[in-house]
Amino acid sequence: MTRHTYAGQAAIVGIGATEFSKSSGRSELQLALEACAAACADAGVEPAEVNGLSTFTMETNPESEIMRGLGIPELTHFSRIHFGGGAPCATVQQAAMAVASGVADYVICYRAFNERSGRRFGSGVQDRPAGATAEEAQFAWTSPHGLLTPASWVAMFATRMMHEYGVTSEDFGRVAVADRRHAATNPAAHFYGQPITLEDHQASRWIVEPLHLLDCCQETDGGQAMLVTTVERARDLRQPMAVIEAAAQGMADDQHMMRSFFRDSIVGLPEMGTCARQIWETSGLGPDDVATAVLYDHFTPFVLAQLEEFGFCGPGEAKDFIAEGAIEVGGRLPINTHGGQLGEAYLHGMNGIAEGVRQVRGTSVNQVEGAEHVLVTGGTGVPTSALMVGAYR
Amino acid sequence: MSADDLLARLRGFVGAQGPVQVARHPVSAPAIADWCDAMGDGNPVYTDADLAAKSRHGGLVAPPATLDIWDRPGLPAQARFRPVAKAPADDPRSKVMRLLEEAGFVGVVAVNSELEIARYLRPGDRLQNVQLLEDVSEEKKTALGIGHFVTTRHRYTTADGEHVGDLLFRILKFRPGTGAAPPSMEGARPAPDPAPSLRPRPGINRDNQSLFDGYRAHELRIPRCQVCGATFFPPTPRCATCGAFDIGYTIGAGRGTLYSFNVVHHPQVGGFRYPLPVGLVELEEGPRIVADLVGVEADQLQIGMPLEVEWLDSHPALVEGATDSRGPISVPQFRPATPRRREETLSAATVQDGDRLPLWVLPVVPTQIVAGALATRDFQDVHHDRDLALQKGSKDIFFNINTSLGLMERYVTDWTGPEAVVTALRVRLGAPAYPYLPLTFAGSVQTVDADTGRAVVAVQATNELGPHVTGTVELELAP
Repeated sequence: MTRHTYAGQAAIVGIGATEFSKSSGRSELQLALEACAAACADAGVEPAEVNGLSTFTMETNPESEIMRGLGIPELTHFSRIHFGGGAPCATVQQAAMAVASGVADYVICYRAFNERSGRRFGSGVQDRPAGATAEEAQFAWTSPHGLLTPASWVAMFATRMMHEYGVTSEDFGRVAVADRRHAATNPAAHFYGQPITLEDHQASRWIVEPLHLLDCCQETDGGQAMLVTTVERARDLRQPMAVIEAAAQGMADDQHMMRSFFRDSIVGLPEMGTCARQIWETSGLGPDDVATAVLYDHFTPFVLAQLEEFGFCGPGEAKDFIAEGAIEVGGRLPINTHGGQLGEAYLHGMNGIAEGVRQVRGTSVNQVEGAEHVLVTGGTGVPTSALMVGAYR
Repeated sequence: MSADDLLARLRGFVGAQGPVQVARHPVSAPAIADWCDAMGDGNPVYTDADLAAKSRHGGLVAPPATLDIWDRPGLPAQARFRPVAKAPADDPRSKVMRLLEEAGFVGVVAVNSELEIARYLRPGDRLQNVQLLEDVSEEKKTALGIGHFVTTRHRYTTADGEHVGDLLFRILKFRPGTGAAPPSMEGARPAPDPAPSLRPRPGINRDNQSLFDGYRAHELRIPRCQVCGATFFPPTPRCATCGAFDIGYTIGAGRGTLYSFNVVHHPQVGGFRYPLPVGLVELEEGPRIVADLVGVEADQLQIGMPLEVEWLDSHPALVEGATDSRGPISVPQFRPATPRRREETLSAATVQDGDRLPLWVLPVVPTQIVAGALATRDFQDVHHDRDLALQKGSKDIFFNINTSLGLMERYVTDWTGPEAVVTALRVRLGAPAYPYLPLTFAGSVQTVDADTGRAVVAVQATNELGPHVTGTVELELAP
């Protein structure tokens, strides 16, 4: 049993976002600066007090430009996390470790992009030149065969999951229905006021069988940022803090980037299992202590696998766990109460962390009663991260 | 002549019987052997006298799908090439055909063939048949064009009058160029160019070079530690098992099973045909690789199905002599494994309604089309002369119906084993089987009776143009 020593010593004290749209009409840098400034304003902290930044390697806005735009005089910590959507909770972990160890005082975690009006992730990697670094060469095993998009990679796992566990497309659809139900009451969500039925899900066109369109997240323009500092400083700030009770990164045996097809078994998410073990050991909590969770939902099938990896149910039992509205508001474990990345926006999971904070503050549009500890996860199928935030007592 | 007048004249022949058509030669072992070669049919009851003598047949027999080939007249006279002179055919169907051709219905395709087998033919049988013109349809609009369906029945006997089988045969005579216009493409996004050279090139570096060198030579190389022998995929410079940096390869047999799959619909990019089935293939040697699945439709994919490799030379060299990412690229793809011929005949007790036959993907090549036509004694030029086939509105030479029927029979009897007795073969023809369009046979047991051993197997053979043959094989399995 290993407990991370920084746990419980840092907190998220501010959240800020731009509007979520399909065409922002401004630069990615402006989106990032708007989100960062909003997070500081939410906390009541002057940007000039910030001395740490953490983001994704995929982020196009360098720390130097953020620093310049925010008027930050000095940075003592700046770190980036690799592997796309697997990074969000790890940026918060970086921030927590930095402030708990005294390396920095205030750290902003940020992510911003024009991912719908600019470079769309859903269009895949077919236009990338055949680079041959160790990382680029890994595409050699899939791209020449037409697996070019995240949907095409995830669908390979989904088929095997259906085969081994008897999961159906309708089971995947229940995740989409829950997300869209929650988005329908969230004015910030792209799909505000637009719930769907299981029939809608089944009738939506194939993207990559067995994934329908409505199994796939949106593409979004927008920015999201979080401000992290120590619990001690947080006590004096304007918002109720969301204590970082645990944060974790995970990679597991024979790890690949959303293409871990060569493992003994491909029905689970062992890298998320690595995160789950650390989260439970560090927080001292268990599945019964969690009333709501934000589970990364770029594609619905992996939401089922996450429920299993975190022990909300046993392997292969997620399809039964999610039946009859268990993951909707009012059920055993409402997930993605902001609407998730299918319903609210696709911000590489950073908007999910903000929802975790709102649940702890008690300000979610779909507030879950007794949400003292909220689990948030990073991207699935990739090297990933997870986070447990809770109320300060 | 008005359409009504023409129909009246055509229908004047309905009910007419032709003269007895007598085969020029008896059923013979060499002709049977040629047929078996053309169909790839290895059933020993057709060619192995010793095995056949011990079988339920008591001696060599002819494949049942050959019933209607023996009394054919042989090579007809050609414009520039005269074989032995023959009297013009004076059976009612020939007369109807001539009338239709004069009226502009010069196109012809076989539509249905239903063979009922009373007993298997044996070498030495001298066959004859009497034709009855059963029906000429009114003018019909079909996808190929406006035309008439002409239906005949043929009763086959031996020279001494023993009834051996019957044939119902239907052809369509049509006016070329009067078919349905292709569906409007207005508003539809054009399909991307499927030329494989448009696919993304793999990034080739020092760690994976050896694999791609192997792929160019159509060798399915699998990385292997030269020290401890561990195999793994994808390649990496250090053996994670023993720590050695001495990585070589072993050459895979090219066989595996389908571990998982998906079917890509969107987005569609150049270099691929959509919907695109892609497999995660578990190789016999252990490691898994990703590869396109060919010769198989999305709804035919089943985890666990046996597969075999074929190679796609996807990219020409960008730089002559280059062996890196700029060199020529070949990639493995997998098709359903060719089913093995069963040696012991299947017992009806072990078969159930709905049982599926393994898929069989036949790479159609011109030689097989020509060999099949000649082995079924069909000398129509569209089955062997590409120039004439093009002139007659076809895209290439194509399988004659007897070859399609023979391949269907082989497909089913390879599955049943050598001593199943075929009692009927019924097919409807659809899309033509052109060269280089792989033809995929799929079958399932429609009904089976464990007491009598009687079974009906439904078969469909499909290429990328659509279903080529749809039909049933009725047979008696081992009890």
